[in-house]
Amino acid sequence: MGLYLKNKIFLFAFFPLLFISCSSDLDFDQVDDLKLKPVFVANVAHFDVPANEFTDNGQEQLIAFDEKEFDVFKKKFFTDNLVKLELDCETENTIARAFTIDLLLFNENDDVLETITLETPAYSGNPDVIKHTTEIFEGQRLDLLKQTVKIGFVVTMGSGAPLDENSQGSLKLQSGATAYLEIE
Amino acid sequence: MKKVLCILTVLFQLASFSQNKEVLYNFTSIPQSSLVNPGADVSYKFYFGIPALSGVSANIGSKSFSAYDLFANNGVDFNDKVRRIVNRSSNNDKTQINQQLELFSGGFRVGGEESKSYVSFGVYQEFDFLMYFPKDIGVLALDGNRDYIGKLFNLRDVNLRAEVLSVFHIGFHKKVNEKLVLGGRAKIYSSGANATSTKNSGYIYTGKDAGTANVYNQIISSDLELKTSGIASFTKDEYEGSIAGDIAHNTFFNGSLGLGFDAGITYYFKENLQFTASVVDVGFIKQSKDIETLTYKGYYEYEGVNPIFSDTNEPENVFDDFEKAIPRDTLYNKYTTWRPVKFYSSMQYSFGEYRSDADCNCKGKVGRRYLNSVGGQLFLMTMPRAPFTAFTVFYKRSILEKLDIKATYTFDSFSKKNIGLGVAGTIGKFNIYALVDNVLEYKDVTKANSLAFQFGLNFVFQDSED
Repeated sequence: MGLYLKNKIFLFAFFPLLFISCSSDLDFDQVDDLKLKPVFVANVAHFDVPANEFTDNGQEQLIAFDEKEFDVFKKKFFTDNLVKLELDCETENTIARAFTIDLLLFNENDDVLETITLETPAYSGNPDVIKHTTEIFEGQRLDLLKQTVKIGFVVTMGSGAPLDENSQGSLKLQSGATAYLEIE
Repeated sequence: MKKVLCILTVLFQLASFSQNKEVLYNFTSIPQSSLVNPGADVSYKFYFGIPALSGVSANIGSKSFSAYDLFANNGVDFNDKVRRIVNRSSNNDKTQINQQLELFSGGFRVGGEESKSYVSFGVYQEFDFLMYFPKDIGVLALDGNRDYIGKLFNLRDVNLRAEVLSVFHIGFHKKVNEKLVLGGRAKIYSSGANATSTKNSGYIYTGKDAGTANVYNQIISSDLELKTSGIASFTKDEYEGSIAGDIAHNTFFNGSLGLGFDAGITYYFKENLQFTASVVDVGFIKQSKDIETLTYKGYYEYEGVNPIFSDTNEPENVFDDFEKAIPRDTLYNKYTTWRPVKFYSSMQYSFGEYRSDADCNCKGKVGRRYLNSVGGQLFLMTMPRAPFTAFTVFYKRSILEKLDIKATYTFDSFSKKNIGLGVAGTIGKFNIYALVDNVLEYKDVTKANSLAFQFGLNFVFQDSED
């Protein structure tokens, strides 16, 4: 067995592997096209205020107010990737007085950027959950949302029979958001 | 990113899957076969490997997708491809990469010419990567939670480990008698970089009460932990240097140290009926250099903001609550990692006696040689979840006195039709071998789910050639 023949056999053994191995055309630039479009739902705000909280030492309080920090959408992740937000609110009133709930969005300078008003009629004996119109934040309105740092709640009671510490019923608010993201 | 992908594809072209070296195992005309069984029936007067070329191997395996599935230039939208892969994969699908490069190796017989005791030694570098497909996280990132009310997104799906290390080893094997070969190998590991995140749990959940439109029950329960060694300093802003260069330096000169061993046996029931078994990389590394452990542990139930009208209160921030409930902690504890243990075993039957047409070799007794061998092999490897198992049937043949081929057919979780081919030959004292795995996939390597390639060059000196 000469070296020559042995070499030949090596060539025969290896060359076919080189030739049968091919590859399809690949395009790695496609990575740049990656765009995730997840849709998330989350709670936004809720409360359940009993009728007697609208009184103070037997005196009716016509206006109640509170504010909460709410700077989630100012975070870079959302300012970069949030393209649309739908806000759904539901109220249920079992107090015999009408209410107006104003949701106020504040920026860092305490300017009101946006007011969302939810009207709820007085309770007349039949429980009634009101689904309010979906508020859609897109474009300029979305930009305002992305500047929000605080959310304020103003509850204004309409006229009617006076409430006292023994008044029945409560005012409920429930709200959730659907956030549309596009992450590149 | 693109560079990384290119490197991965090149590895694809060169490589195969897990660390199963089914073609090399018990292919005793290759000295490196004693790295997968220190008790392999290998004999030589002495040998040395050509530095950096004596053992080059790479394996890539990916159960759920191939390079083609993701990057084919076929007009399909990339996002659709990603979605298709996520949808059809399972959280038990693994992506594995293993690469080894022998820097130097050698061996010699100890004792006189009649002795059958051998010492072998060397240094090799190894890169190991294993990741389970994070299916739930993928679904959450692609779709969000809106269409998955009531589903628990499992954080246990995050499961990966990666390591770059060098291994200094010295082995000894002895042919105790005509029937039995025993061997062992001691190893010192030096790990340049390690990342381990294999014991995660928790979930992300969004539920909804029946009848309510907008109230969700949202819970994040998190027990996430990522341990790193040799990596933390690269993530700091003040780091200025070459990461690849520093990892290479640490791997050989400033790594976290560990110890381990291999053991093996070859036993001949009859001259032509052989049994072998080996256990490789029983060992640990004490991760101690530049260590940093990140944890996110806690429970957070998100209800949205809840105004309280009855008294004045400080406005609180729900986002701060989240960070308080599931804080990011950094710990600096040393930790121990166990090497993936490999277990091999084989049964081999040989037939067809070899008749030398060379001149009579009258130097003492020459054992009978066979032209053909057939048999089966079993491979097991420890993994963070269930062990990896592969079963191989093989056929080995001596074409010429010093040219052997081996063909294998392997079943494992990556492939049911993995055909491997190996050639080992010696020209003079020059020993060359090349082993490929998943030959069928070479039709189009970009579509392969797993590929392996291994080659090496040695100089082997035997008595009869003196």
